[in-house]
Amino acid sequence: MTRDLERNRSFSRRELLSAVGGLGLAGLAGCTQENPNLGSTAEPPSDGPGSGGGSGTLSGDISIAGSSTVFPIASAMSERFEESYPDIDVSIQSTGSGGGFANYFCTGQTDFNNASRPIQPEEEEQCAGNDVEWIELKVATDALTVIVSTDNEFIDEGLTVEQLREIWSADADVETWADVEDSWPDEPIELYGPSDASGTYDYFIEAVIGEEGSHRQDYSPTEQDRTILQGVAGSEYALGYLGFAYYSQNSDSVRAVPIKDGDGDYVEPSLETALEGEYTPLSRPLFTYPKVSALQEGHIEAFARFWLDNSTSQEIIAEEVGYVPLSEAEREQMLGRIYAAAEGLN
Amino acid sequence: MATNTETGEIEDFGQVSRTVGTVFRYLLLAATMFGIVMLAILLLYVANDAIRPLTADLGWHLTFFVGLVLPTLLVGWTVYRRDRAALSFGALLVGTLVVSLMFSGGVALLAIDVIPPLVAFAYAVGLVVPTAATVGLTRYAHRISFTTRLIATTMVFYLALFGLPGPIGDPVGAPSLVPSLVEFVLTRPVIPVDRVMVATVIGGISAAAVGSYVAGVRDWTIGLYAAIAAFLASTAAGYVGPFVGLNPVPAVVVTAVAFVPTVAYAWRGAFTEGGSPLGLAFAATVVGGALVGAVAVDALGFAGPQSWVDWQFLTSSHSGTAENAGLYPAIGGSILLMSTVAALSFPLGVGAAVYLEEYAPDNALTRFVDVNISNLAGVPSVVYGLLGLGVFVTYLGRSAGTVLVGGATLALLILPIVIISSREAIRSVPTDLRQASYGMGATRWQTVKNVVLPESFPGILTGTILALGRAIGETAPLIMIGAPNVVFDLPATLGSKVSAMPLQVYAWSSLFASEDFYTKAVPAGVVVLLAVLLAMNSIAIVLRNKFERAG
Repeated sequence: MTRDLERNRSFSRRELLSAVGGLGLAGLAGCTQENPNLGSTAEPPSDGPGSGGGSGTLSGDISIAGSSTVFPIASAMSERFEESYPDIDVSIQSTGSGGGFANYFCTGQTDFNNASRPIQPEEEEQCAGNDVEWIELKVATDALTVIVSTDNEFIDEGLTVEQLREIWSADADVETWADVEDSWPDEPIELYGPSDASGTYDYFIEAVIGEEGSHRQDYSPTEQDRTILQGVAGSEYALGYLGFAYYSQNSDSVRAVPIKDGDGDYVEPSLETALEGEYTPLSRPLFTYPKVSALQEGHIEAFARFWLDNSTSQEIIAEEVGYVPLSEAEREQMLGRIYAAAEGLN
Repeated sequence: MATNTETGEIEDFGQVSRTVGTVFRYLLLAATMFGIVMLAILLLYVANDAIRPLTADLGWHLTFFVGLVLPTLLVGWTVYRRDRAALSFGALLVGTLVVSLMFSGGVALLAIDVIPPLVAFAYAVGLVVPTAATVGLTRYAHRISFTTRLIATTMVFYLALFGLPGPIGDPVGAPSLVPSLVEFVLTRPVIPVDRVMVATVIGGISAAAVGSYVAGVRDWTIGLYAAIAAFLASTAAGYVGPFVGLNPVPAVVVTAVAFVPTVAYAWRGAFTEGGSPLGLAFAATVVGGALVGAVAVDALGFAGPQSWVDWQFLTSSHSGTAENAGLYPAIGGSILLMSTVAALSFPLGVGAAVYLEEYAPDNALTRFVDVNISNLAGVPSVVYGLLGLGVFVTYLGRSAGTVLVGGATLALLILPIVIISSREAIRSVPTDLRQASYGMGATRWQTVKNVVLPESFPGILTGTILALGRAIGETAPLIMIGAPNVVFDLPATLGSKVSAMPLQVYAWSSLFASEDFYTKAVPAGVVVLLAVLLAMNSIAIVLRNKFERAG
């Protein structure tokens, strides 16, 4: 009660109201703007005036999943795309080629699936079962690289494809380096490679081991290329394989093994040898698979075009990411596929 | 005290050695220190990689040593000798400023990039008006029955937020008859400028908090004046900001969230009864020293450390080159995820805790629930991720990796911890207080509302914040629910894909070949994550200390 009395003594409610009201009115008089949302009722409220500029009129979400090998390309492209189209939200997830197809793309959740090998028949079936139509776009060429530690001195010339098959095949009983080549040390081979969710793994089976063989399982599988790199760098008797980008950016800690295919020469992996087609059989195409229904949305088509337009860029693909860019002819072919899909011509 | 043996002979003590005891004691000490030292070494190592203090000029270090460290030590020592409480107040004041500045950064991020000011303003009006009506109804209309009041209150809120007929009419396609208050505000042709709307909403909340804080110390009149002053300060900041190089909206937010509460705390600590103005001198030395050092370094041209954690890192999004890569969308994503988690887990957790402590009968079912909650707190996070994936994505068909799904999954993850810590807090309310309340004829509901919850609130809050601290670092559940590794924008809605700080750090550590990502961007991300975590935990610790002193 005394508190109430005191309060009433210090100022009356009417005084307070008039003071606050007056202040408020005075404040509001000079501090108003026109409601930006009313001018363009068709636009969602988040699109304020001038936020986009001429090119920023497209908006929407784009979700990408799939191969960790293609991930750096997708992220480099998205980064540049975002600069021109800030209202488009791109999200990229690294799940491995197979993981992306099975869990995200063919269930209809993502717009693009990156893959470091072509889509497989059972994945095609799964996609067809969920009415997901797709097109295949080649985005770069990779040189799958076999690496050993820089301490490794006994492999000087390189490995043949047969020796690789012997080492990595499940049937062969190769335990030590001496089992591969008599002059090599009698030390167990430590093997590091990608796990079976990875397209790199699938491609390695296809190119080296052969469809009828199978990949040995007593190695250290991982989805993280860095783990392979660290494992191999740490031991003189280790052997591993991964995408070229990882090798090229870390070529001081590991050494790439030249590969001899059949009667050819030992060829070291490099952007040139992969582009010239000399580095066989381990140079491989990298893909992204957009969903056709997604391509028919303006912002996703724009992104696909942007990606392919820049897929011949030496600066992005070769220097920043470390793969071989497309040729002009390949790019035109891929852009044609996007056009056909976006217009619903297939 | 020699002992008698069976034969009746008396034996002496023999030798009692202290060695075993001493060894045991130091072994225990070693065990205690082992984890802490290891952690400290790791953190120093990471911080060194991220901030790289050794890359700064010697002059830079010297300037800050002379300008900041030396005066701080001198003043600190003097203050400590005069009045220990003053030193701890001064240190807390500096801490308050730093932590509240960090939080204002988070709020500014929301105000600028996530919630448009007009939307926030409209919803604030849509909530404040019916709340005022409800308070008025409760205060001035005693006669009406509880049911009538409940219906009236619900109606007022519904009308303000949804209009007529609102969501109820949507399924049958009823046309909108009366627009909601929110809609009404959203469609005004002339609206206040952004800085005024932000000042009204955030400055208003801050002013209300400061007002009630001051009123708690003094009385309602002073509190009201303080609230008005705080509100005016926030509003004014929007107009003063541009003159000191700040954009209006961030200026308002920083003033309302950081400066106003800090000033209130400084006033309380320095100028009220039992206050220690000396602490103010200490805080002023630290803040002033830092500013003087910054200005001097700039003027003398000494290069600072080439820290990887810099403004660019905090405000840009991921990039393919490590130099340009930043954490912004991940920071924003973490903030939004934590807001969702808090909004979901706090009411559920506290509700469950109140029920179990105050209402539940002691029977087999309750004990069964008890045991299960304790077990659930220990379930690995990846299992919760699987649960989230199964329930929200597969069963309910929400799209994977969104704010809502991520927040709900993390909320499930910390729910048992929130329940357990809230129960601890509620249990620590003395039974005397409850008995006294019952003795005065209060019902159980009144007792819970007026005695138990207010008494245990700081403890509940502490537990919740610590649990949020666990959630903010979780990576596995987010990977399980398919959160993307990289996004380039803040999520605009609850249904947008979201990344989080730990996910971004994980992506940098594993998906990019460049060594710079691994050796610099990753430590920088870890340092930012830890800074946010420590800021959250510091609030919890301050709350707990205050709570313990009061209790």
